[in-house]
Amino acid sequence: MPLDLDPAIIGQEFDRTVEGPVTAEELVAFARALGESRPEYTEPGPGLVAHPTYCVRFRGGRFYPESLVKLIDVRRGFDAGKDIRLGEPIRPGDTIEVRSTLHEVYEKTGRTGSMYFVVIRFTLVNQRGDVVAVVDNRFMHR
Amino acid sequence: MILDLHLHSELSDDSRAPVEAYLKVLQRKRAERPLDGIVLTEHRQFDPARDYRALEDRYGFLILNAAEVETDYGHVLVYGVNRDILARFDFTDVRLPAQELVTEVARLGGIALPCHPGRPTVGLCDHYERRPPLDGVVAVEALNGGSRKGEDARVAELIRRFGYGAYGGSDSHLVSFVGVCATEFDAPIRAMDDLVRELVGGRYRPVDFRARRSS
Repeated sequence: MPLDLDPAIIGQEFDRTVEGPVTAEELVAFARALGESRPEYTEPGPGLVAHPTYCVRFRGGRFYPESLVKLIDVRRGFDAGKDIRLGEPIRPGDTIEVRSTLHEVYEKTGRTGSMYFVVIRFTLVNQRGDVVAVVDNRFMHR
Repeated sequence: MILDLHLHSELSDDSRAPVEAYLKVLQRKRAERPLDGIVLTEHRQFDPARDYRALEDRYGFLILNAAEVETDYGHVLVYGVNRDILARFDFTDVRLPAQELVTEVARLGGIALPCHPGRPTVGLCDHYERRPPLDGVVAVEALNGGSRKGEDARVAELIRRFGYGAYGGSDSHLVSFVGVCATEFDAPIRAMDDLVRELVGGRYRPVDFRARRSS
């Protein structure tokens, strides 16, 4: 069945949440958990920055807009991957504002039938107003 | 002349393969997969402004653009997409009427060919079990690089029964799969018009390089 979605909700911001401040200990622990050994990710000090994939830890306050939850059974689905565009590095002491928008909703058909894909875009901005990452979270639902 | 008639680049939602990376693989594996070019068939879209001439010049492969659309008889590749075809059909619609697509695309100067017909749900074979056959189908994808066991055999039976022409494509979404199945043409192809003419004319056959794959 085609999804009865109001196209006006595409691109709308539905949540804005500030997280942090980020600590040096968190950044080092995250990088080491990945097996990372490069000093810029693992040694506390003025040169320490977050490992590039650290940005996927941010979640915001609400994952889906209410209007979408009414149309899609969000309990049936799975994570279909992320696209990340990196900006300024995340450093210890940064606070990160997560701006969530419904970026895209589309349908496709495959071996197992019809599927809906929902792309939630997180734009992560630090306290200086710099974009540190844009994360497109793609989810598949039946 | 050998072309991979079915593959996806990072412009499709389920592929992360850059076009240039495909060309590098084909250049490196020329002895294994002796292709002359590729036809990009992005899912549910066609951008007439897409231009790969710089990559063609750099790597010496022909690069053409087509589309894979979704219909009530499964997935279909559309070659020779033009302004009239784009005005007639919304490629993002996953329920396009297949009969209209086949008939109208031919009338408007292109050709619409069902792909992976042996695949469950999105292949022609499943739909032919419940509904009448389509008129005007010229050929089907007899070899698809993404087929699972038994799917290509279903297609062989479909071709035998309906007398369709046969072509091949890798359906690659990953760089390393480019060209594992392809189509060999008798005549040279330099542009999309040549490809549509030859597909209509039937002077081609699917070729399978999967057994040659080293990695």
